[in-house]
Amino acid sequence: MVELRELAVDYPAGSANLRGHGRVKAVAGASAVFPSGGISAIVGPSGCGKTSLVHAIAGLLVPASGTALIDGQSVHGIRARTSVIFQDYGLLPWRSVEANAELPLVIAGLKREDRRKRVRPLLEELGLSAFRDFYPSRLSGGMKQRVAIARALAAEPDLLLMDEPFSSLDALTREAAQEFLLEIRRARPLTILVVTHSIEEAVYLAESVFVMGGRNPGSIRARFDIPENRAARRFSAEAPLPGPPWPDFRAEPRYLQLCAAIRAALRDAGPIDDAGDSR
Amino acid sequence: MNRLKTDLRKAAGIIIATAGLVVAWAVAAAALGKPFLPSPASSFAALWRLAAQGNLGIHAAASASRVVWALAASFVPAAALGLAAGRSRRIDLFVSPIVYILHPLPKVAFLPIILLVFGLGEASKVILVGLIVFSQILVSARDSARRVPEQLIDSVRSLGASRLDLALRVVVPSALPDLLTSLRVSLGTAVAVLFLAETFATETGLGYMIVDAWARVAYPEMYAAIIALSFLGLGFFIAIDFAERLLCPWRPYRT
Repeated sequence: MVELRELAVDYPAGSANLRGHGRVKAVAGASAVFPSGGISAIVGPSGCGKTSLVHAIAGLLVPASGTALIDGQSVHGIRARTSVIFQDYGLLPWRSVEANAELPLVIAGLKREDRRKRVRPLLEELGLSAFRDFYPSRLSGGMKQRVAIARALAAEPDLLLMDEPFSSLDALTREAAQEFLLEIRRARPLTILVVTHSIEEAVYLAESVFVMGGRNPGSIRARFDIPENRAARRFSAEAPLPGPPWPDFRAEPRYLQLCAAIRAALRDAGPIDDAGDSR
Repeated sequence: MNRLKTDLRKAAGIIIATAGLVVAWAVAAAALGKPFLPSPASSFAALWRLAAQGNLGIHAAASASRVVWALAASFVPAAALGLAAGRSRRIDLFVSPIVYILHPLPKVAFLPIILLVFGLGEASKVILVGLIVFSQILVSARDSARRVPEQLIDSVRSLGASRLDLALRVVVPSALPDLLTSLRVSLGTAVAVLFLAETFATETGLGYMIVDAWARVAYPEMYAAIIALSFLGLGFFIAIDFAERLLCPWRPYRT
């Protein structure tokens, strides 16, 4: 379980000056509980501090105050079983698909054979085996994302943080990627937190949707629970596989109602346009 | 992306450019008709003669070894210091001002001091050439390290990478193409300065050959040595291209 307690994040104002005294607040007073084994989503407009929140949970930055707790332990630095997928995937252009996927194991100091034993089945599962020796520059956006997922899963995480993972994909690839993520979750126990600015995506994927709003600092303003998307219901062994004859959740009135409610909550939460956004 | 084809095209380019230069030279020589600009034919004949005597080989090897030593001695420390300065504000605080003060100075101006401190031997020549390469590599290493995308650093850091991991697995490979480019750029200066360094206190090297032939008014030989110097530079450029292909295979190969 991931829990945020009054988490606040700030960063130095004006990175140009060397010893800037002022700090800009990115997030303040964020409290939330993300259920174990489920998919949670954070939606919010650009500049509301979503990414800062992910960085804090990932241990990439030290919160100004408050804590992020994972399984009751407060986050201090990088945690081995937390994997992060960034918006632009963070693949190293000079490493092949396989070399990128095995990077966490290289850093952990695993031997070549052990790395292969773990990474090759993953590449197979994600449909990347044929592209093992390709460099990322030769892959499409959807394929790059699969490589990023392979790299994240190679570390055998129990928590997967995804920062705008699908935002650079075209609409159809994006839907395929969402299905793909559900499939991956179905295959292994994993707590997933997706940060997105797409309301539709959040409602389709997550069992808890957190709405962020405000700017400098932003904060978590509302929470929506979607029982239809509960992990126990969707990912258990008895759960029916998606697709016909089961109706697509996105075609149901309830889905549209939820989207509308979240849209209204977002509008209440603060300004949406990115005018005056310093970044 | 046919490598052989690209290589052939590159070789053809070099041959055509050389032919063009030789033709221009031949026309100029014929038009002038003065001994200080002999025809390409007599210069290449001199080159052939010197090569056959074995002299040319000895001098070219001496020059090549000076350049290689200078590059070897300065590239790694300059790249390391530059990359460190690019990633750490604290290091940059010291390195950048020193670089800005020293970089624009003609290093050749330090020659008398270098000679006084390091003597008239090989060391002075290697150090002079090395100094030139050093600051050029350092500046581009620093700027290149600054350009490493922060997201790339964050994403690798999130995998539990140490500072050393980040330096070796992200910063160095990311800067490598820029480093090789700066090596290419500074190589031209290095060969030019090498000539100067070889004009005194030595009896080996292509620079010495040029000045020696000049003093003896043996113009075809002088031009032969100049041709050899240019081939030496060409050889280095080809070597760096080859190194880039080996070290940076991920880069889309330019056609």
